[in-house]
Amino acid sequence: MFYREAGQYKTTYAADQQIFPIRQDRIGIGVILVLALLLPLVASEFMLSAIAIPFLILALATIGLNILTGYAGQLSLGTGAFMGVGAYSCYKLVTIFPEVNVIVHILLSGVFAAAAGVVFGLPSLRIKGLYLAVTTLAAQFFLEWCFIRISWLYNYNASGAIEVPGREFFGTLVTGPAAGGISRYYVVLAIVVVMTLLIKNLIRGRIGRQWMMIRDMDIAAELMGVRPLVAKLSAFAVSSYVCGVAGAMFVFFYLGAAEPAVFSITLSFQVLFMAIIGGLGSLVGSFFGAAFIWILPILMRVGLPALGVDIAAETVFQVAQMVIGALIIFFLIVEPHGLARLWAIGKEKLRVWPFPYA
Amino acid sequence: MNVLVKPAGMQPDGETAPGEVLLRIDSVSLSFGGVRAITNISFDIIKGEVRAIIGPNGAGKTSMLNVINGFYHPQEGTITWRGKVRRKMKPYEAASHGIARTFQNVALFKGMTTLDNIMTGRGLKMHSGFLWQCLRVGPALREEIEHRRKVEEIIDFLEIQAIRKTPVGRLPYGLQKRVELARALAMEPELLLLDEPMAGMNLEEKEDMSRFILDVNQQFGTTIALIEHDMGVVMDLSDRVVVLDYGRKIADGPPEEVQANQDVIDAYLGVSH
Repeated sequence: MFYREAGQYKTTYAADQQIFPIRQDRIGIGVILVLALLLPLVASEFMLSAIAIPFLILALATIGLNILTGYAGQLSLGTGAFMGVGAYSCYKLVTIFPEVNVIVHILLSGVFAAAAGVVFGLPSLRIKGLYLAVTTLAAQFFLEWCFIRISWLYNYNASGAIEVPGREFFGTLVTGPAAGGISRYYVVLAIVVVMTLLIKNLIRGRIGRQWMMIRDMDIAAELMGVRPLVAKLSAFAVSSYVCGVAGAMFVFFYLGAAEPAVFSITLSFQVLFMAIIGGLGSLVGSFFGAAFIWILPILMRVGLPALGVDIAAETVFQVAQMVIGALIIFFLIVEPHGLARLWAIGKEKLRVWPFPYA
Repeated sequence: MNVLVKPAGMQPDGETAPGEVLLRIDSVSLSFGGVRAITNISFDIIKGEVRAIIGPNGAGKTSMLNVINGFYHPQEGTITWRGKVRRKMKPYEAASHGIARTFQNVALFKGMTTLDNIMTGRGLKMHSGFLWQCLRVGPALREEIEHRRKVEEIIDFLEIQAIRKTPVGRLPYGLQKRVELARALAMEPELLLLDEPMAGMNLEEKEDMSRFILDVNQQFGTTIALIEHDMGVVMDLSDRVVVLDYGRKIADGPPEEVQANQDVIDAYLGVSH
């Protein structure tokens, strides 16, 4: 088959340690990036605004959670709240410093989320597993309460919601109700691709290995010189930073306005399911998971009537929910490690095809 | 002798010459509540030797290693490391002082490949900052490649080239033990603690492992303290043996002397009362 690494000899460690050591993978990722860049040429406004943009943003949030849960092994149910911290700080930054570029604000808002993550990550030094999940639940409820009660956060709006003002990026309107889907899409795509790349680098370096050491065998990690405090809190910080940026983008590039209910526990669970279905401890899995949970229901809702199946809108919605639920169960039975593992197994099989093993 | 570089951050005044005492355990006692795991044990480990710690099950051998590691803190007694009395320390501090270890039950990082597992051993020697690592250029990239070279030396040394990219969870037990040794060696420790390195191995694997332990000791000059139940291995490998029983030291000396010691024979075979 075409997916072979035969003949691709690595003569330096640098070549062996690159992100995609197999040439076909490099070609594949290049093709995907080009397709992503060309998407606005063919996609409708609906496809960009309701599918592509939120998919990319949620994939980034899933990556954020994956850093914490998949790579560092710390279970968290506070993703929604950390996204909310990002969104609200971005809103405050944009309204306090309106002249600064909105992209700078988006990236800065993650810092506030990171700070919140570190504070609520402190219990992880003593508590593990499901018990830690319960303490992150405290973060979820406390922060959500803050979004409702502290009216300074939403500039004392009567509605209690944050409304995104229009902001320009190099002369193009990228936020606010008047911003077009194409400009928003490109900004989101750029941020998500760059951040994914940076996180990939982080994960395959010393810091990422420390996280995985803590995840796989914390006692051995400590005996090998990893300070649990540093490793766990850095995972919380980086994870929450990414979630915060994703949250800010979720409001600024997708929703346009948001009330506290957006960042409720439902969002936390949604992102957690994306991480689990996609595959914990996998970046590509984060994209798979986000696609599965976000795009598939929309496609079903839009696709069934388009195919000529004549059913009521709410029936379609419910059928889609049921099918998604069944698929989640199916995939978790077939491969508990998520779609990313299925993908990896598939690639492995292709590499040795037509033989069953090398 | 030492083909690998000395760890950075090691004080030159802390250097110990071969033949000098590297670690001295002085009347150490450790108890958990009412259970006395270790009672008033003293012994020393000399730089460059292979020191065996043996004893029947529950004798306190692993507890002893945990004390040396800084994982347990003895209630009484002192530990002298390189001529300095060691204060109460955390395991990661012991690691940065040059103490590495393998575990009785293999404690590899299951989700990572052999290569990554061994790379974790280099963690203390890598210092590039967070941002460099995100970008993976400059010092971060240089560091990764430089340490990969060291790791490859160890992979060659332990003859595990073929499983370099295999996730360790898929490896057979004997190889997992070897990867664990590789990971400990990657730390370039001054003192290597091996907790039952041969447990559960067949004869051939034991012979391989014995050879590796001797090679590590002789080529790298690493001081080794090992716990082992296979008496043949212990007698062949070690320079000196300390025997524990019920948390007390009952014998200490060269293998042949310990072998002839009546207390040791009684501890292992039991005595009629």
